Amino acid sequence: MKKLLLAVALLALGSCSEKSEVTEISVQRIFGECRANVPKGQPPLRNPDGECEIVTQILDDFEKRNPDIRLKVNIAPWPGYDQLSAQYAAGDPPDVVTMHMSVMPDFVSRGLIEPLDADFAKVGLDVNNFTPAARNGVTVKGHVYGMPFDNWTQLWHINMGLFQKAGLVRDGQPILPHSPDELLAQARQFKQATGLPYLLQPTDNERAAFTRNIYTYLLDQNAVFFPDNKHIRLDTPEARRIVELFRQIYAEGLMAPAQDYPAAMAAFLNGQGGICMVGTWMIGAFEAEANTPGRPLSAGYAVRPYPMLYGGKQTAYVDGHAWVMPRRERTPEQRAAVIRLMKFLQQRDYDWSRTGHLPTQADIARSPQYLGLPHRDGIVALATVGQTLPAGVERQIAIQDIIGDEMASAITGHKPVAQALKDAEHRVNDLLFHVL
Amino acid sequence: MGARAASRQWSNALFVAPYLIAYLCLLIFPLVSGMGLSLFKADLFGGREFVGLENFARLFKDTVFLQSVANTFYFVLLTVPPLTVIPLFLALLLNRSDRTAAIFRGVFFSSSVLSVTIVTLIWRMILMTEGGLAANIRHAMGFDAIPFLSDPNLVMISMAIITVWWCLGLPMMLYLSALQQVPQDIYEAAELDNSGWFRTLWSITLPALSRTVILVAIFQCVLQFQLFGQPQLITQGGPNGASRPIVLFIFEVGFRRWDIGYAAAASQILFGIILLATLIQYFVTSRKQVSS
Repeated sequence: MKKLLLAVALLALGSCSEKSEVTEISVQRIFGECRANVPKGQPPLRNPDGECEIVTQILDDFEKRNPDIRLKVNIAPWPGYDQLSAQYAAGDPPDVVTMHMSVMPDFVSRGLIEPLDADFAKVGLDVNNFTPAARNGVTVKGHVYGMPFDNWTQLWHINMGLFQKAGLVRDGQPILPHSPDELLAQARQFKQATGLPYLLQPTDNERAAFTRNIYTYLLDQNAVFFPDNKHIRLDTPEARRIVELFRQIYAEGLMAPAQDYPAAMAAFLNGQGGICMVGTWMIGAFEAEANTPGRPLSAGYAVRPYPMLYGGKQTAYVDGHAWVMPRRERTPEQRAAVIRLMKFLQQRDYDWSRTGHLPTQADIARSPQYLGLPHRDGIVALATVGQTLPAGVERQIAIQDIIGDEMASAITGHKPVAQALKDAEHRVNDLLFHVL
Repeated sequence: MGARAASRQWSNALFVAPYLIAYLCLLIFPLVSGMGLSLFKADLFGGREFVGLENFARLFKDTVFLQSVANTFYFVLLTVPPLTVIPLFLALLLNRSDRTAAIFRGVFFSSSVLSVTIVTLIWRMILMTEGGLAANIRHAMGFDAIPFLSDPNLVMISMAIITVWWCLGLPMMLYLSALQQVPQDIYEAAELDNSGWFRTLWSITLPALSRTVILVAIFQCVLQFQLFGQPQLITQGGPNGASRPIVLFIFEVGFRRWDIGYAAAASQILFGIILLATLIQYFVTSRKQVSS
């Protein structure tokens, strides 16, 4: 018995050690996994302007400069909310997480993320330096709930070599349409000259892209599609006009069929289409390709906001990424570490804007350093003229899924356009009606 | 003495207690609480409001849900028969002790150890219309690619092919272990009676395996009604909802819309369907056994 007690005492003493001085916080992010491209302590081996490479390097750099903080990084598949919801349900959300600005009102309404105004003020993180779009995006009911990382939107990424071949270049600039008829005419001209589809866009296993298109072109027509926060109006002439146009583009083979997201990106990189409709985040990767001799994009690459087709002023549906702090038990040291990380991320806004995303810090947006990056002068205005959905509309990701689902069915010809719009409207309104 | 024996019997329950406690906490409690939840309009992280059977009434009017039920039944019909029959043939062929059979047993079982993520990654590369292996082979032969994943009429068949490839291993192993339990002397007697291969199979092997066939069919039925990972990762239920099974519907409603009362109601319907299908199968097969 004595021996047993002695053994237990020794074991207990052995387990005592000096209190660790390192504070560990869990960081959950999207943007993919690329550790193989970014060995710790080294610059990226390739694709240095890619989202994943830059965020990996920024987080590594934070750890290097803050040896008293250890980041436990968890990479969630886009958009990250399935995993986050499950973590909340299990009572174990991360300390800091990336979140789309459009989703923040859902989490605020349930008290799941914390207001950060006081913490930011304490460490001198200046919220007045946020661009208006960024400030609006992270402000809910008068409080700042996140550190805005970027604003983004869908863009037209253009293969200038193929445009030249199709006779759609004037004075070194791509000729873009100003009406649905011009769009169809130019797309047909492009296909006839190159034998390739004019548009590349994920059509399979993809919901977000079609929804963003329809939002942008509804805004182009000044359509009020959310008359209030609990209703959407999609069974309208404005929406029909847009979906029928894309249906016709698809039916005529002017858009590549049956491509998922990776296939559409690969097709654009391999010169298999004229325009890739994808977000700001691909500028860095496409620009790197354009600067690589011998690659299909090296003959020329341009980026433009979506051309307005219905006579409206230049606008676009925009959203953004922010870093937020989920409500959970944490020590004061952990809380301080989260805020230090957010301040560090604010200071690295220029680095992140190299991805193509719009900067969230006003000084960076005005800086010659940012404006000197390729294509930025052509898109920076979207940070001002871009529009989000009304802030009071909840479940924006679920709404995006439903609309994308129905639009994909209509555009690929599996459902009549009018029926798809009717179904989308019914499904979204049913969803909003049942939100508690 | 009697009281002592009784107390000893009760103490024996301690041996099964850990399992029973885990079973009650992890299965029975969630099941009952899910049944209760289905009667509420409930948000994943917030309020709760009693609505009685309204969630069920909503489900029976929800065309997306009804389509997912039809998709699930179609998928079960596509997968359960092959997953009951093909492993049986493989087991009959590979029930030998030579090296070739051992290698093939390993080969056919190997797909079962892969995670759904790897399986879908492999099959996406085979089936995708642009640049997929199947498409490249068709192109090389001068034909157009088959839109396995973007044609509503083909997408569930594609899911079934993927699933059969993935799930063959375990039923094959069950059949093999059952085959090895058939007494050899019966086969020797059959041989002495000059019984042919087919006669032996029909009159000895298959009757001896009948319980395992029932087990495999019921097991596969329960498993395939819960289809989720393959369509979630490859098609997100598309095109036009043609590959959305009930579990994906539950997942979307519960975790994307946070409408967990509605999701719980759909779960109860899935539970009822699986229970009913299993009971029907069980009673039909056991009645056949009794009559034979």
